[in-house]
Parts: sequence; C-alpha cells; structure tokens
Amino acid sequence: MTAITIALVGNPNVGKSTLFNQLTGLRQKAGNYPGVTVEKKTGTFMHRDIKYEVIDLPGAYGIHPSSLDEEVVYRVLIDPENALYPEKVIVVGDPFNLQRSVLLYQQIREMGLPAIFVINMIDEAERAGLSIDVAEIEKVLSTRVILTDARSGKGIEALRDALQYQPGTYTPSFRIPEEYAAPVSRVKASIGIQQDYRAWLYLSQKHNRHLSPEHAAEVHAIRETHGINYHRLQIKETLERFTDLDRRLATAVRDTTKKSENFSARLDKLLIHPLWGYVIFFTLLLLIFQAIYTWSGPFMDAIDIGFAWLASNTAELLPVGPINGLITDGIIAGIGGIVIFIPQIAILFIFISIMEESGYMSRVVYLMDRWLKPFGLSGKSAVPLMSGAACAIPAVMSARTIENDKERLITILVTPFMTCSARLPIYIVIIGLVIPETKLFGLDLQGLVLFGMYVLGIVAALGSAWVLKHLMKTTYKSFLILEMPTYKYPVIRNVLLNVWDKTLGFVVGAGKIILAISVILWVLGSFGVHERFTNAEEIVRAENPELEGEEFDNRVQSEQLEYSFLGAMGRTIEPVIEPLGYDWKMGIGLISSFAAREVFVSTMATVYSLGGTDDELTIRERMASEINQNTGRPAYNFASGISLLLFYAFAMQCMSTIAIVRRETNSWKWTFIQLAFMTGVAYLAALFAYQFLK
Amino acid sequence: MIQDRSIASLRQGETATITGYRSNEIPIKVYEMGLLPGQVLTLTHRLPFKGPICVRIKDNPNAIALRIAEADMILVESA
Repeated sequence: MTAITIALVGNPNVGKSTLFNQLTGLRQKAGNYPGVTVEKKTGTFMHRDIKYEVIDLPGAYGIHPSSLDEEVVYRVLIDPENALYPEKVIVVGDPFNLQRSVLLYQQIREMGLPAIFVINMIDEAERAGLSIDVAEIEKVLSTRVILTDARSGKGIEALRDALQYQPGTYTPSFRIPEEYAAPVSRVKASIGIQQDYRAWLYLSQKHNRHLSPEHAAEVHAIRETHGINYHRLQIKETLERFTDLDRRLATAVRDTTKKSENFSARLDKLLIHPLWGYVIFFTLLLLIFQAIYTWSGPFMDAIDIGFAWLASNTAELLPVGPINGLITDGIIAGIGGIVIFIPQIAILFIFISIMEESGYMSRVVYLMDRWLKPFGLSGKSAVPLMSGAACAIPAVMSARTIENDKERLITILVTPFMTCSARLPIYIVIIGLVIPETKLFGLDLQGLVLFGMYVLGIVAALGSAWVLKHLMKTTYKSFLILEMPTYKYPVIRNVLLNVWDKTLGFVVGAGKIILAISVILWVLGSFGVHERFTNAEEIVRAENPELEGEEFDNRVQSEQLEYSFLGAMGRTIEPVIEPLGYDWKMGIGLISSFAAREVFVSTMATVYSLGGTDDELTIRERMASEINQNTGRPAYNFASGISLLLFYAFAMQCMSTIAIVRRETNSWKWTFIQLAFMTGVAYLAALFAYQFLK
Repeated sequence: MIQDRSIASLRQGETATITGYRSNEIPIKVYEMGLLPGQVLTLTHRLPFKGPICVRIKDNPNAIALRIAEADMILVESA
C-alpha cells in the first residue's frame, strides 16, 4: 500500500514540531534532504485504513527563502520532480499571527498545491481572550480550517479526519502586476509551466537550484532583459498580500478582553535585562555544566563497572593472546568508552532542548549577538557553539538557521574547536597521568586543568573566527531579525524525542567507527612481512639468549608488534611526531584517532596489550608504566602529556565532523582548509609546549 | 527631523507607528515578521554597547529583536 505524502509547513514558533510528534508518535525517522544539507524528519501513521507519510519541513515565514532552512521548503514545494513533493500540504498557523501564516498558505495554494489550514495553540488564544471565526477564515482561504492544541492533543483527531478533504478551486489573491506580465509569460513559455505564480517565483528567487542549468540561465536572461530586481519582487508581493489580508481577515480574530501586560513581557524584563539577563544566562551555563558533571557521575560509574565486569569475564572465557586483547581491550573497552559519555551528552541535550522548547534560546541569541558579532559570528552562532560542548556533529548541523552565508560558514568552521565529549576520555586519562593530585587555592588542580581545556576551546573558536572574518569577503549583508516567542512549558515528549535522536546518532556513529578501527588495528598489528616479524622468535633467542619464560614471550610479542604493518605505520610517522614528545606507539594512536578522538585511549590499550601478555593491568596502569624508547622516560610525562592535551584540543581528529562539514558547507575547499588549519595549529602548539617543557 | 525618526531612535518604553522604510534593500524578513507600515509598536528593551533592541508589536504576544542597523531602516512617527 502506498502512503499519501503530506508536508507540514508553517512559521517558526507555531508548535509545528509538537503537532508532528502528535500525528506520528514514535514512528518517525530523521535523515537528510537529498542534495541539500538540512535535517529532515518524516513519520507515518494510519488513519481509517489509509497510510500517511508526513514530512516535517523546516519553519519558514514565507516562500521566499532567507536562510538555508527556508530554501528547503521552497525546493521541496516548487519542484514536482522532487522525491519529497507532497500530495497535500498542512499549513500550520497560530492565532496571534494569523495573517503571516495565511500569507504562506496563499503562496502554497498559488503554486498549485492542495492545502488545509491548522490554527494551533488555541488554548493559549482562549486564555488571552481571542475569539476565532472559523467559518469566516474558511471562506477567505477556501479550504478546511482545523483548530488544534498540539500540546494537549486537542483537535488532532479532527485534523486526521480532514486529511481526506479535497479543497475546491482556488482564486489567486495575488495578481501578477501588469508590468511583469511579459517576463512572466516568457518564463512560462521557455520552461513549459502552466501557473503564472510559479513563473513569478522563478523570477523572484535568487537561486533556482532545482532547474536545469539551461533553464536557470534562461530565467536569468529574462530577468536581465527586463531589468528585474528579484528582491523588489519579493517585497512587492509580500506587501500586497498583507494589505489584502488586513482587509479580508479584519474580523476573523477578535480580541474580547482588555488584557494586561502578558507574562512573557514581564519575564523578559528580567531575562533580557541589560545586566541581569547576562548574569542569569551565565549562572545558568555554570549550573548546566555543574549538572553535567555531578548528575552524570553515578551513571558513569555504573557503566564503567558494568563494562569492566564484561571485559574481565570475556577475558577469562577466551584463550589468552592477541584476539583476547582485541575483544576485551579494543572492542569492549572502546564501546565502553563511548557509552560512558551517554549520560553527559543526554544531560546537555536535555538542557538545550528545554531552552529551545521554552523559548529561552531565542533570548540567548538576542543577548549574545552583540558579543559574537565582532568575531564575524551572529547571535545565532551561540546555539552551535553551546551544542559543540557535547558533540560537533549536531552542532554543525544546527548552524543552518543562520541566514548570512559568511557567519554560517565561520560558525561551522570554528565549532569543532569547542571541547566535545569525545575529547574528555583523553583529557581525563592524560590529566590523571601527568597532573599531580594537589590543591591550588583550595581547588582541585586536575579539575582546574580540565576547566582550562574548556576555556582554551572557546578561545580557539573565537580567535579563529576573528581571523576568518578578516580573511573572508562577503557579498551579503549581515542582519539579525529574530522572533522571540512567548515562554512556554517545555513539552516533555518533544524534549525526550530530541535527546533520544541526538544521543543515538552519537552512539551509533561513534560505535561503528570504534568497532571498525579496533578490528583494523588488530589485523594490522597481528600481521607483517618484515623478517623480524616472521622470524621474531629465532631473532630474539639469538640476540638475548638469557631470556626465558614470560620475559621471552613478552620480548617476542613487542618485537612482532614493532615490525608488523601497524608498527611500520607508527615508525613511518615517528620522525614527524618525535619533536612533540611521542614515540611510534603513540603515533599509531594518533593515526587511528584521526577517525575519532575517543579512539585514542582504546587504541593505546590495544597497542600495549598486543606488545605484551600481561592482561591484568588496566589501561591507565599500562599507560603509566609505558616507557618511551627514544627518551627512556615515561611515555606520558608532564611535557608529552601537555603536548598531547594541546594536540587533541586543536586537531581535527574526527572523520564524522569532516564528513558533516563537507556536507553542510558543500565545499571540499573549506573542509580541507579547516582540516589543515586545525591540525596545523595543533601541531605547532604541541611542538612549542613539548620543546619548552621538556 | 520628524520624518527621519527610525525605530533605533525610540526611547525605551516609547510607542510609535511604522510609516515606511529608509531603503528598498531591506531584508524580506522585516516584512514577513509583520513590521509593516501602520503597525504600532513599543520599544521594550535595549542592550548595552549598541547591542540589538527588542520591540513588541501591539496585540502580539511575541517580541522581535533587531540590530540597530536594521532598526534604523524602519521609519516611525510617534503614536
């Protein structure tokens, strides 16, 4: 049975996502729009034996796009060839901004799409004393109008019933101005389309990326000959529609009460106060990070104990040897190293979702805009930068709401400097090894260093943004026009769904990489073609006749590792990393953690266990006792430890981020510049630190 | 002088009516947000160091934030 495709369209802040969650429940999946980079959500449901597939399009104020989010809406709805082109559209509006939503509705109808109209948040409207004349609105819109309250589920059944409704003929309310009649008919003829309004849209868009290059060039040529400024067309249409709607919807929504200043306005007096607004925001940030550490503690301990138990039981079950090391130290410890960060990521995303759901996040954008602007960023960059503290992947994706191309690009390029969860296992292990457990001014020194690493991430992000701002030229004007919706209690269901999505994405993505890397490492470390690998036993016996028993086995194993494929890779890059204080074994860690930072610790475990038969030591103990063969000092001493910390703070050691940046910027050039810049800074910082401290 | 007043020149708490725009090249979002001629709005907040301002359109519960540069393109007269 094929499903009927329905697109959910509406202005931001009208409760569209809540409505989507109500319609589809848990039967939804996130993905990406083909060809564009914006996250898409689709879901299915059955109603009266008909299957519906709902696409939740990003919020848009009108069909003329001013951000990447809005461009997705245009591209899906303008192009019948698009895989997501819907059979029907649900336009969602709110009673307080009815005209704005109706404007979008009209545009969609005039593109030739059948649509029904939903007025959401009716409970809030009732409380505010609004009365809504549904019959009147249905007459103006010539379609079915349904009142819903998505938070309580009111009206959802009525909406499902209405999906079978076929709207009748629609008379366009926007007439193509006389002076544009000629270019419009030329576009219709050259592209071969029927509706005047579609042709008008082609003329009034900066980009028509769905058109073939030839057609796009023709539209461009027509615009040139008639001297058309696309921006003026958009303004003309919008103003005319609003003037018309003012008249036609004058009596549709009535205010029955004289209301006092609303709750949100009173709360804003405090939350966006020029002084208290900032105090509250930074206190909140502090509390969030405090909570991330204290609340996650018990969960992390439990996960740690659970995986340790699993690893030791597996180690006993399997025969001693490298394959045992692969499964227990590589795979189980590696997966454990990911799972242990679920509590922190989940807690951070709970806070971020609550801030978004409640309407506070737009206040953060407002408060931060002035302070991020000098760095070539926008207030809207605050959201990606904050999410970057959990994971750069969803953070880079959240930059898509930034309208200005340059600000968006800079945000994407600098967000990976923020201290993400994947850096934590390295920071914690290295700090534990090289920073003494003492107190400084009554504060725990190790904790202070960790805090310093977070500050370093922020400084690096802002500093490089400032550099990029001066290097890049832009043709776009930067602006900030931001709606700050009324404060609302967050819908728990929305928060939980969002946290689930983000956390699962992180775990599955990183888990796959860890698993693959562990197996590859094991294979590379267990095979080799060098003579000292294949004949390791004889060579060791000949060179060290005094060795016997366990000592002999250990020497053979480490000899084999050194001359395996893996050892060869490590020794190849050793000259480059030696000035940073690392040996070839750590080089293997650097290479494998290029896939993902968190792989470093589990790689070192695999490398050290391949090189020895002692399976009782923990990763920490193994690392602490490891000797750098070049210097004869512990491999993780103060100088090399600080050098490693700096390297991981700056280096772009995450394949998933590289992939997402490539997709989001749609440019290999910027992806490579970012990679080279981050890794270059990392190398230099580590080099200076080691040479200075050694 | 009167004709040249923009949203940016409003005092905190002052209410005014939008009369027009200083330029044709302002972002389409200004229009889509409902900052249209004839609308009555109040400037509710300012931030230090020429940070963005916050306005509320009459009878609309949502607030709108604008940078000074955008606010200066929207002309008003005292209500």
